[in-house]
Amino acid sequence: MLYFSELKGKHVKTEQGIRLGRLTDLVFLAAAQPTVTKLVVDGGHNHLYIIPIRYIIKLNAVITIMDSFSVEAIAHQELYLGKNLLDQQIIDIRGNKVVRVNDVALQDKPVLTIAGVDIGIIGVLRWFGVDETFGRILRLLGKTITSRFLSWTDIQPLELARGKVVLKKEEKKLSRLMPEDLADHLETMSIRNVTRVLSLMDEELAAEVIESLNITYQQNLFKEFTPERSAILVEHMNPDDAVDILLTLTERRRAAIITNLSQHKNTEISSLLSLSNTPIGGLITPEYFVANPEETAMRIRQRIQGETQDFSSLSYVYIVNAQKQLVGVSSLHELLLAPSDKPLYKFMNPSLVVLHLTTPKTTAIKRMLKYKLETLPVIDDNKHMLGIVTIDDLAESILDKI
Amino acid sequence: MKNTLVRFRNIIVIAMAVVGPGIITAFADNDAAGVATYSVSASIFGYRMLSILIPITIVLAITQEIGARIAIVAQKGLGDLIRERYGIRVSVLLFAILASVNFFVVVQNVSGIKAGLQLFGMPPVFLPIMTAILFFFIVLAKYPIIERFFFVLIGFYVVYIASAFLAKPDWGLAIRSLGIPQGDISPAFIYTSVAVLGTIVTGWGQFFINSYIKDKHVSVEHLAYSRWEIYIGAVITNIFSFFMMVAVAATLFVNRIHVADAASAALSIQPFAGEFAGTLFGLGLLAAGMLGAIIVPLATAYAFSEFFGYSGSLDETFRKSKLFYGLFLVQIAAATAIVLLPNINLFRITIAANFLNGLVLPVIFYFLWRIANSDSIMGAHKNTRLQNILLVGAGVVITIAAVFGGAGQIFGW
Repeated sequence: MLYFSELKGKHVKTEQGIRLGRLTDLVFLAAAQPTVTKLVVDGGHNHLYIIPIRYIIKLNAVITIMDSFSVEAIAHQELYLGKNLLDQQIIDIRGNKVVRVNDVALQDKPVLTIAGVDIGIIGVLRWFGVDETFGRILRLLGKTITSRFLSWTDIQPLELARGKVVLKKEEKKLSRLMPEDLADHLETMSIRNVTRVLSLMDEELAAEVIESLNITYQQNLFKEFTPERSAILVEHMNPDDAVDILLTLTERRRAAIITNLSQHKNTEISSLLSLSNTPIGGLITPEYFVANPEETAMRIRQRIQGETQDFSSLSYVYIVNAQKQLVGVSSLHELLLAPSDKPLYKFMNPSLVVLHLTTPKTTAIKRMLKYKLETLPVIDDNKHMLGIVTIDDLAESILDKI
Repeated sequence: MKNTLVRFRNIIVIAMAVVGPGIITAFADNDAAGVATYSVSASIFGYRMLSILIPITIVLAITQEIGARIAIVAQKGLGDLIRERYGIRVSVLLFAILASVNFFVVVQNVSGIKAGLQLFGMPPVFLPIMTAILFFFIVLAKYPIIERFFFVLIGFYVVYIASAFLAKPDWGLAIRSLGIPQGDISPAFIYTSVAVLGTIVTGWGQFFINSYIKDKHVSVEHLAYSRWEIYIGAVITNIFSFFMMVAVAATLFVNRIHVADAASAALSIQPFAGEFAGTLFGLGLLAAGMLGAIIVPLATAYAFSEFFGYSGSLDETFRKSKLFYGLFLVQIAAATAIVLLPNINLFRITIAANFLNGLVLPVIFYFLWRIANSDSIMGAHKNTRLQNILLVGAGVVITIAAVFGGAGQIFGW
């Protein structure tokens, strides 16, 4: 993952080493898939070159482009990242001011694309080059700060062309950080204490907090709850999240909860469940390890030592953003090689090989063999992680058929 | 007949829609920090100080008008526009400068309230109660009621006219000083002049009028009315500055008494102009302190929500604009705490803090100048040639004066 603040101002050179100028802006396609299409290079003396991205050879401390590059005009559906997106006011669907765009996150593989916008304090500090120092100081004080991040899927691309950054949801649903913060805190406690804390909350808040917990906690909690209590919570939960949890339970328990649901919820959940009644669905293991992009290599190594003692195996660390969307992966090897204070987003691999519930088993195993991966993450349409599938489980189930 | 009535009524309706921002912001420039600066400067330089009032009025009028015009045309605040055009680094730096300079002014206003309370024999314990009441009033009251409250506070400024008359000044000399420059170009006089300028034409005033107009939703058709409201506000405000300076010049300067703050000015006036004049002066100080203690921290909060895109406006509830009201609270609470510290003489910094206010003006004028001349933002309502000459001229003169006056202070010329 890259940030625009890290790219802006980089020198642009041709292969032969001729200096063109500095990168001042990027041009992107204002669409659901916001691909970056052009570089804007300031050559000084009011000379702006707009160079298509295909001419880039290397993107390191210096951006190297082909000698034979040509310039192009900006196209109809394209916008400037710096001019039209960065620093703009974000408003929610009701027109409430939310915050401004502090930085723009880009993923560079397979093609340079906007991943989302940074709306947190870290995004501000990054422009002054003090984000990591600040993070280190906070860690010394025993605190962590996670960057607040809005995924591109939350933004209406059509409104951008009109000069507005409009969200698809209401602000309330985005900015109620409390349940997530609470969830982070709860994840450090034993299941029994979590149950006790949750029993103090009203159902709506409890459901919201549970949604934000990791899947292992969710599964364990629902094992503790009576089917009646579970059903009440499911009523208040986002159906996708509810289905994810229900899928981790035994079939009998699942059925008991569903019968306790209201008519309307019952149909909704059942249809979602039937969708997931797929080859992959039955093979999902909730035994996997997730982390935030800001966590350092050292912190992850410590967390693995502390939290995965009863895992039967562990091969990868999966990285999810604040919206719990899967954004990257790191193998244990990569994790061990990384310097201790390097945050995950700096070395994680953002180009993911994933499975969906509907992926056929044979496709799944072919993918694993092709990319030499022993486990693959399973995600839903919102990129939320449902679990992982291991190559041995998959091979076993295919062998059973034969 | 009927037609005239209808026309008259229309004018009143429009006036009601535009009156407020110009007059309130201009009067808030005569906050407790202002009263203190006038007192200190007039006690040192006497009637001579009056000679800078007319140029200051012109600078105030044109800069406030530009700020208001930008807000009406762009429907955006100065903070919004600076962030969108100049990016995050400039915004963070500018906000940091503005917030710290403003905080000095907040402290002066809160200590103005404290001094005002003391003049009426109330112990310092009333100060936190007073600031708490102000805070809850701003949070809970609806916008039109807050505006009316501002007008009530402004009404109290009449007491300065009364105390000026009670001081029996040399009116002939006062008027002459106003028209014919009596100033010298000693570094001390220039330093003090920049401070007087910095208390009348302020950085926060530029941000405040802008945000206030945006909140009031003045439409482009009413631009001309808004302009006149601002001009009138600037003139009236400086008429009051005139009376304050005259009151002090006629008593303290004439008797060679130098004061370090407004409260001691109020006390020192009494032997010469009578106890009543001193009391009036103190009452004015209390009202000025309250006006400033509300408006200056609000200006910082407005600027913050514009620069960083948070929801923030007097129109909105506490729940929705927590950061906005939170920032307001932090400032007045911190200022109250500082003012309550025993043995702290804040008025020593009166002139210095207002000099700093004057010092940042050219920076803000630069952004006003750039934005008010931008085709894409202002369209047909760009600055005229005359406005540009006055704005840039003021910026250049202030910069030179600030460098000269500041250097004079530092090197003790």
